[in-house]
This record gives sequence, structure tokens and C-alpha cells, in this order.
Amino acid sequence: MLTPVLAPMAGAAISLSAVPDPVFSQAMVGPGAAIDPAREPGHALAPISGRIVKLHPHAYVIEAPDGRGVLVHLGIDTVQLKGAGFEPLVAEGDPVRAGQPVVSWNPADVEAGGRSPICPVVALDTPASAVLRVAAGPVHAGDELFQWD
Amino acid sequence: MAERKITVESEVGLHARPAATFVQTATKAAMDVTIAKMGGTGAPVNAKSILSVLALDVRHGDTIIITADGEGADAVLDQLAAIASAT
Repeated sequence: MLTPVLAPMAGAAISLSAVPDPVFSQAMVGPGAAIDPAREPGHALAPISGRIVKLHPHAYVIEAPDGRGVLVHLGIDTVQLKGAGFEPLVAEGDPVRAGQPVVSWNPADVEAGGRSPICPVVALDTPASAVLRVAAGPVHAGDELFQWD
Repeated sequence: MAERKITVESEVGLHARPAATFVQTATKAAMDVTIAKMGGTGAPVNAKSILSVLALDVRHGDTIIITADGEGADAVLDQLAAIASAT
């Protein structure tokens, strides 16, 4: 079954290998893609429908009913911000629809603080071959970023 | 059944690099490997699943219990314990 995985925010779709963090660029967490986000305040959206199994201010994991999980990480090394600048809009355990806002943040603030605002979007517990049709270039929030076979 | 009880020393807990390394190492094991959080309410989860390990949300200073069964279980658990206890 193909699961469309949506861009959580507007920006430029880039390869995971271009993310400035080896944990993501070497696909240690899993395969996927990344968004170099537009530098404007906005909402990070749910890339798939499912349940919020983990919600940190700077990262979240959504698990679909079929068990597929997607991680969205808002910027690099943003765990160091200890939540400052991130406002969760849902709670852990909540069901969400693909495209629903999950966290409010501003990539420009993350960048101004000296960190990369690039957002990895990672398919968990799956081989690289399961990630298909990865977008490249400008995307709107909610556009398809890749398909998960 | 072999078991190790480890206090997680990584500043970020079992997230990001430590989580990815932990799961990659567990995945290489021939047998089932589980991880549970001391004081947690949930049952042990599959240590080979990055989704399960991230959802477990192990933080700096938390104690985890990892288990494996069968030939080579001690070696697998020693490797995982070293990853989990690294700063």
C-alpha cells in the first residue's frame, strides 16, 4: 500500500543526504527527505494521518493505524532550545489528520540562533527502497513529499 | 533470558544518534531484543524498532532494562549497554 507523506511546511524539498547532521544524512534514523523551510512563522503539519505517539516541542512522531511511523524534526540540534520558540498545538496521544497543524514555530528564529532550520521527514523502521517519488525543489505545505510503499 | 539494567548517560537520552545506533545494533542480533523503562507504565517494546524506542522516550538519567534470549544474548546486551551508558 502506498502512503503519501506530506511536506510539513513550505520550502524547498531536499535530499536527506543534504541535511547538516550525520544522524539524518546517513539515514541512521531511516530514509525520507527534508525541507529547507521558508523563513517565516508558521505551523508544522502532520505528514500522515494517525496518532501522535511522541511530541517534543522540536520533533514529533506520528504512527498510522497500519503501524507506519513518520518522524518530523524541526531544525537541527533544536533539542538544545528546550522548547523555546515552539508551541505544540496538539497533545501526545491525539489523533491527527494528514495536513493538520502540530507545532507552531518560526524557522527564521531558529536560524537567527545559529542553528539550521532544515527539517528531516523520516520513514521509520523501513528500508530505503520503500521511499519513492521523493519531491525536489519548491513545495507548499501539505504537498506530497514522498510516497511510502 | 539475559538482562541488563543501565542508566542512560547521554545528555539527549535515547534520542537522535544514541537511539539510531542502539536500534541499528539491536537489529543485527539474531534473537528478539526488548527494552523497557524502569518506572514506566508500558510493557517492554521491540528494541529493533526506532519508532518504539523513540516513543519510549528514554531521557538522561532514566534506567532501562534490556533483555535478549539465546546464544550470543550476553554479547548483544553488552554492546547495547555500552551504547546506552555512553555520555
